[in-house]
Order: sequence, then C-alpha cells, then structure tokens
Amino acid sequence: MAAKSPLKEPPTPVPAQSSDTQLKFSSPNPTTPPVKPEISPTTAANSTPAATPRPSLLHPSPDAGVVHVPSYSRWFSWENIDECEIRFLPEFFDSRSPSKNPRVYKYYRNSIIKQFRENPARKITFTEVRKTLVGDVLSVRRVFDFLEMWGLINYSTSPATRPLSWEDSKEGKSSGDGASLESSAHAHAHAHAQAQPKETVRKLCSGCKSVCSIACFACDKYDLTLCARCYVRGNYRVGVSNADFRRVEISEEIKTDWTEKDTLQLLEAIMHNGDDWKRVAQHVGGRSEKDCITHFIKLPFGEEFVGYPDSNDGEYGSESNKRMRLTPLADASNPIMAQAAFLSAIAGEGIAEAAARAAVATLFEEENRGSKWNDRSLCRNAKQEVDAASNGETNQDTLEKVNEDANAVIEKEEQDMERKISGIIQVQMKEIQDKILRFEEFDLQMEKEWHQIERMKSLLFADQLNLLFHKSAVLRTKDRIEENGKTDVAQ
Amino acid sequence: MKAPASASLKAPVKFRMPTSENLVPIRLDIEIDGQRYKDAFTWNPNDPDSEVQPFAKRTVKELKLPSGFGGQIQQSIQSQLADFRSYEGQDMYNGEKIVPIKLDLRVNHTVIRDQFLWDLNNFESDPEEFARTLCKDLCIEDPEVGPAIAVAIREQLYEVAVQNVASARENRLSKKGRRGSEHFPASKVSGAALDLMKLFNFRSSVIRKRKDWDYYKPVLDLLSNEDVDVLEAREERSGR
Repeated sequence: MAAKSPLKEPPTPVPAQSSDTQLKFSSPNPTTPPVKPEISPTTAANSTPAATPRPSLLHPSPDAGVVHVPSYSRWFSWENIDECEIRFLPEFFDSRSPSKNPRVYKYYRNSIIKQFRENPARKITFTEVRKTLVGDVLSVRRVFDFLEMWGLINYSTSPATRPLSWEDSKEGKSSGDGASLESSAHAHAHAHAQAQPKETVRKLCSGCKSVCSIACFACDKYDLTLCARCYVRGNYRVGVSNADFRRVEISEEIKTDWTEKDTLQLLEAIMHNGDDWKRVAQHVGGRSEKDCITHFIKLPFGEEFVGYPDSNDGEYGSESNKRMRLTPLADASNPIMAQAAFLSAIAGEGIAEAAARAAVATLFEEENRGSKWNDRSLCRNAKQEVDAASNGETNQDTLEKVNEDANAVIEKEEQDMERKISGIIQVQMKEIQDKILRFEEFDLQMEKEWHQIERMKSLLFADQLNLLFHKSAVLRTKDRIEENGKTDVAQ
Repeated sequence: MKAPASASLKAPVKFRMPTSENLVPIRLDIEIDGQRYKDAFTWNPNDPDSEVQPFAKRTVKELKLPSGFGGQIQQSIQSQLADFRSYEGQDMYNGEKIVPIKLDLRVNHTVIRDQFLWDLNNFESDPEEFARTLCKDLCIEDPEVGPAIAVAIREQLYEVAVQNVASARENRLSKKGRRGSEHFPASKVSGAALDLMKLFNFRSSVIRKRKDWDYYKPVLDLLSNEDVDVLEAREERSGR
C-alpha cells in the first residue's frame, strides 16, 4: 500500500520537509508539512506504526522550545480524544468503572505530556509521572506506555533514545495488548489486508489484557472476555459470577478460515517439503503446524489414493501418498510413519485403512472440542487404534458396534426432533383456530349491529312520514279555518 | 433499650473497599544498606499479579535503585495484595458509618493537616477525586501531594473496612439471635463511627460548633529546606 512505503524506505534525509511535526508548546494542531502525499492522510499515518515506529526522517538538532512529534501522532490535541486513543485504552471509555472516564484519561494524558514538555530534552520516567498523578498506578502506566509508544513523550530525535520499537518491547502484557490492538487498527485503517501475516480479530482478555489463545470465556451481561487463566483465577469484577460466563472456543473456524488460496499454498508446500511441517506452516503463512496437518487430513484425498497397494495407511498416510509411492518400510525417518507402515503391513490393508479412518474421525471430533489435552489423548487414542489394527477381527467388531451405537443415537435424535416439530406445529394450529373463532364472533356482532341500524333507519323513516302527514293535516285545517272565517265574514 | 434508629441492619456485604474503585493502597518502606525507599500508591487488584514484577523492575530501573530493591518491592506489594485478597471473600458488616478521616502528611515541602467526615456506605466515593479537588482548591503546586492524600484516605478506609469484617465475624460467632444483633451497631461497632442521631437530632443543629471549625479545615504549610531536613532526621530516628 502506498502508506507503507515511507516507513519501509530507508530514512532519506529530507531535512526541510521533515515529516516530523514541529509543535510549539501550546498549539494543539500541527501544521501539515509539505511532504510526500502518502503521509498526509491521517488514517495512513495511524497505521504506519505497524511497520516500525521509527519516524521516516531524522532531524539534525532539536531546537529549544520546539517539541517534535512523529507524524503518526499528528492526531494529538489537548482538548480532544482521538479514536485511536479510545481503541488502545478502552478501559477509560467503556464506562465499566465509574472513575475511569474520558475526563480522567485526559487529565492523565495532559499532565504526563505537560510534565514531559517541561523538559523535553530529558526522558521522563514512569515513576516520576506516577508519583504525581492521582490514580491507580497501572492505568497510569498504560497511558504512559501508550504515549511513549506514539512518541508523544520521550520522543527525542537522536536514535539512541528513540522509544522502543515494536520488536523490542515485547515484554509485558501491554505490548501484547498493543500488538493485537495495532493489528485491529490495521483492519480499521486499511480495509485490505497487508502483506504481513493475517491479523485476525483476536480475543483480548479484559482481565489480564493478554491474547486469548486456548479458550475464552465470554460474559455477555457485562461484555467481558476472559482468558482461561483469568476465569479460573476469578480475576474478574466484583459482581460477576461464574455462571455468567460461557465458553467460547477458539476453534479453527473462528481463528482462520481455510480459503482456497490457503489450501493451494498448503498443497504446494507439502509437495515441496513433504514431511517438513515446519516449513509447510511457514509457507502457508500464519497457521500452526497442527492446523496444517489437520486441514490436510480433512481434505478429500483418501478416496483417490486407495488404489495404491503399497501405500501407508497410518494417520498421516494420505500425505505420504501425495508425496510418492512408498514401500511400507521405506520411510524410516519419521518414526510414526515407520510404525504405521509396519503395522499396516502386518495387519493388512483394509484393517489399517479402517483404523486410519476412525482415527481421523475422532481427530476431527476432538478438534471441534478444541482443547489441547484432548489432542494429546487423541494421539494416544490414535496410537491405540493403530495398535488395535493388529488384532484383526476384534477391531472390526468394535467398529461395527460403534457404528450401530452411533446409528441408534442418530435415530433417537431424529425422533426427538420430529416429535418436537410436531408439537410446535400443533401449538401453531391451535393458535390459528383460536383466531378463526374470534373472527367469527366479530362477524356475528357486526351483523347484529347492522340489523339494528336498519331498524333504526326504518323507524326514522316512519317518523318522517308521520311528520309530513301532520304537517299536511295542519295545513288543511288551517285552510278550512280560513275558509270558515271568510264565509263567516261573507255572511 | 431501644436500638437507635440509625442502626438499620443491612445484610452483610462482601468485602471491598468502600469506594467507587476497588483499589488497594500500597505502602512501601524498604531499607537496604542504608538506602531507604519510601513510597505509597494505589494498586488495582483486578490487574494480574504478573504485573507486579515488571512494575517493580521498572521502578528500580527508573529510580536507579540498587537491584536488591526489586525483589523486596515485589514481595512487599504481593504480600499487601495477598492480605487484601484474604479479606475479599468475607462479609463486611455494613451499618451506618460516618467516620472521621484525618490527614497529617508531609510530602516534600508541603505539610497538610486536615480532618473530615467520610461516609463509608457510599460505595461511589472516590478518594482520588477528593484529593484532586483538594489540591486544586488549595492551589498546591507540588504534584506529588495529590496521590499521597488519596493513598492516605484509602488506607484509613481500608482499616475501617477491615474492622468491619472483624466485627461481622464476631457477630456471626456470637449468635445472640436477631434481637441481639440489632444492638450491635450501637455497642460493638468501633468507636470511630459517629452516631448520626446524636449529631443531627432536633436539639443540636447541623451546623458545626465554632470551636470545631479549626479542626475541620485543612491546614497547609510550606516548609523551607532546613525544616524539611530536620523533620526527615526526626522521622528516621523515630522510625528505626
């Protein structure tokens, strides 16, 4: 990516247009120096520390009264909190503890930086800072480390006192924290993956801030993630109990998905290196040997190579098929292979194949459960399987029995499922019937009301008629009276 | 005898510092070969114990102490943490408690004396915030005073909390039954707690008496170098 280039290049001295940002003491926002365009976008600048935190340029002499800050820390300002700070020091921003809030963070950060800038030529030590800040020392230390890492303090341009680069600062949990957070910063800053080994989202333990590798315990109620060690130790907040945690396995699916490209690389590597799984793992890029091996076994190879009469059908038999045709006792270098070859030669092909299949199946199952000690026992199991292969018939019987048991369990589960489904359907039917009933009632009511209205209408009509009649009657009597009056008068 | 109304019996609470953050005050006072290292700070017990060693190492390195200090510092911190943790599982009796907190510290050139009341039941209280505000209000220039105040407050709160655990344990041991336990708040609870009812009943007013004013306000002294030396010498002599 373009953004990586300025740091990967050897520091070319471009003195006037240094990418170091020169800050006066009080001015918060740096002026953008006239530099190569790759550096200008701040998102790119944020991600550059992934390569090394070395600034791209050296400045010949520090001027008094001017503070140098590396270009990747350009986001810093006294008043604001940048999002990379939120990412790196989430404890202050996730309102989990009432006294760790952004204001406190700003207070720590600003006072540390102020202290440093009182005497920028000298490196400020954590202990001095800690003595002057009110608060729990480890949070202060985390802020201090963060600032040091980003060159906001103790950043002097002479190479001797440069802050520790990533490779050096591997001690302590903070760097582990930083490294994996850095990688997720990667993911944020650049949508596309870098050429470096894939940094997937790793689970960070909120207790000890280390990367969870084996198994993690997530508590959804309080949104915590703990590594196995912290969970066991009870190293979590007051108020959270054991039951709130559920176990989340770092299984192969979560960690890494085997894409086509990966599989291709794996196959290439195996073709080149055969049994040397270390090199294969390196070639594939970022997967452990075990992962490679297990994935390879799971690939649908077996059927194609069944025809090989001399092939070894031990645990890793399929890989040897891929390599070349081996006579049974040929590959004595790999002890497991040799043993498998020997046993299969003795026990006969079919049995050894069945044993291998069973071993692979259990391996797969055990993988899904994902704990390390299971693997060890699995290896033992697998070994036992291979040993059992040498006792011909008993193996077959046990296999069949296991098969039957498995089938029975499957059937039972299916029946269970069916029953449950039918139960659900019945409940829903009942609901629908109830609804229909209710609608019918509504209908009845509506009809009744309609009838009523009709009646009222007819009544109204009758009333109107009556009124009209009366009116006409009144009019007629009025006329008669008038006539009578006239006749009376006339008489 | 009527149990005072203020002694509302609350269910015992799990032990923790009665502040918003469950931080432990750590005090170090180590002497090796005539070199004395005194320090006090707050530690978060939720941080993993594996952090103690790097912290000790870093302190030694940055203060340029001889390397023997590293182990001692680590041990001291760990033992204080262990003490704290040993109380953690237990119940803490939780009555109505207003305790007086006294400050009497000398930090470099600043001497501060103060006394105030603190509510133990307020689990949201924050000594750090208090210390920060105090320093700001008194315009204390020495930035090391704040943390020292916070640690001093925490230590005293810690002691009271520990006493509460002890009293809760005694309550449980001496099972005098329900009525008896209601009497406890008045009698058994450590004398440091003030009975609010006496202070705030209708006969007296909430306003403090004039003669108490001097006790309850902060007194700040700035010492000159000679005074500091004198005091230090006196402390060392008394401390030995």
